[in-house]
Amino acid sequence: MFVLEFVILMFFVSIFAGVFGSIVGLGGGIVVIPVLTILLGVDIHFAIGASIVAIIGTSSGSASTYVRDKVTNLRVGMFLELASTSGAITGAAVAAYTNSAALETIFGSILLISLVPMVMKIGEDIPKSPELRGVSKRLGLAGSYTESDGRVVNYNSTRPIEGLAGTAVAGVLSGLLGIGGGAFKVLSMDLAMKLPMKVSTTTSNFMIGVTAAASAGIYFARGDVDPVIVAPVALGILIGAAIGARILLRSRNTTVRKFFALVLAVAAIEMILSALGVSV
Amino acid sequence: MNWRNPESMNVVIGKVLRYGVILSGTIILLGIAGLAATNGLSDVSGMLAYNPNAVPHDSIDVSLGGLANGLVTFSAISWIELGVIVLIATPVSRVVISVFLFAAEKDRLYVLITAVVLALLLFSMLVTPFIPGFHA
Repeated sequence: MFVLEFVILMFFVSIFAGVFGSIVGLGGGIVVIPVLTILLGVDIHFAIGASIVAIIGTSSGSASTYVRDKVTNLRVGMFLELASTSGAITGAAVAAYTNSAALETIFGSILLISLVPMVMKIGEDIPKSPELRGVSKRLGLAGSYTESDGRVVNYNSTRPIEGLAGTAVAGVLSGLLGIGGGAFKVLSMDLAMKLPMKVSTTTSNFMIGVTAAASAGIYFARGDVDPVIVAPVALGILIGAAIGARILLRSRNTTVRKFFALVLAVAAIEMILSALGVSV
Repeated sequence: MNWRNPESMNVVIGKVLRYGVILSGTIILLGIAGLAATNGLSDVSGMLAYNPNAVPHDSIDVSLGGLANGLVTFSAISWIELGVIVLIATPVSRVVISVFLFAAEKDRLYVLITAVVLALLLFSMLVTPFIPGFHA
C-alpha cells in the first residue's frame, strides 16, 4: 500500500470514529484500533499510540462546542478529573506487575454487566433529579442546559464519591492499557451520579482528553506515536468530532443512550476478544 | 470580556479548545501535504515497522533536538509531530486556564481542585516517563 492510500483510508475511517466517539463520550479508539490492527496489520502498540491521539482529538474537537453550548458540566468534569488523573498515574505505576489479558477479561466483563442497568434505563429521557445535598451541594455539582427545542433542563447530581471511584477505575484502565476510560466515565456519571445522558457523554468527552494527555508523554517518548499513522487519524478525528458534536446537540437523550449501549457492547466484546488473543 | 461572569468561563474554555484544535489541525495538514509530496508513492509498510527491541520503537527521532532540526529542515514528519504536540497540549492548556478562571470567580475550592489536577497531569506527563518501572 502506498503512503498516500494509507493516509486517505485512515482519514476517512477516523472521520467516522470521530463522529461516533464524540457522541458517546468515548475516544474513537474503539474504531481506529481494530481497523489498524485487523485490517491493516499495524502493530498493536502503534494502534494504541494512535488511539491516544484520537482520544485527545475527539475530546478537544467536540468539547469546544459542548462547553460553549453548556451541555458539558465543567465542575463535574474538573472534580472527576482528580480521580481520572490519579488513576492514570496508578495504572502506569502498576502496569509492570499486571497481566493485561486478565485485566481485559475483568474490565470487559464489567462493561458487559453494566449493559444491564444501561438497557433497563433505555427510554429514559431526563432522570428524576435527586435532591442536591452533602458533598454534591458543597461542590456545586448541578447545572442546566438547553435542548435544541428550547426546553431548559435543570438537573442535580448525587453520590459523588461513587462517581469519583468509578472515574478512578477509568483512569487506572487508561494508564494500564491506554484504552477503555471513556466507557467507565460515562457509566459513573449516568449510573452513580444520575446526570442526564447528554451531560454524561459530553462531560466524559471533556475529561478523556486530559486523561489521555496524562499518558501521552510516555507513548510519545517510546516512539509509539507514529506520525504517518497519527496524522490522518488526528485530522479525520477532528473533523468527525466537529460533525458529531452538532449531531449530539440535536439528538434526544434517549437516542444517545441507545447509541451508547450499542457502543458499550462492542467495546466490551473487543476487550474480551483482545484478552483471548485476537488483537483488536 | 467579563471574567467574573460564570458564562464567560464556558466561552473562554471553548475558545482555548477551538484554537488549539485549529492550530494543530493546520500544522498536521501541512505535514500531510509535505508527506504526500515527498513520500506519497512510497510503500507504507517500511514506515510502519514496529521495532520491539529498541526504544523508541519507531524509526523516527523523538528527541527535542531531532524535532527542532526536522522543523527547520522542513521535514514533513517533524511538522506532523509538532502538530500532535500542539494537540496534546490543548487539554493541558485548558486545565491551566481553568485555574485562573476559577480564581477570577473567587471559587477557592475549585482553584484548589483544578490546581491539583494540573499538578497530577504534569507529573504524569513529564515525570513518570523517567521513573524506572513505570509503564512497563
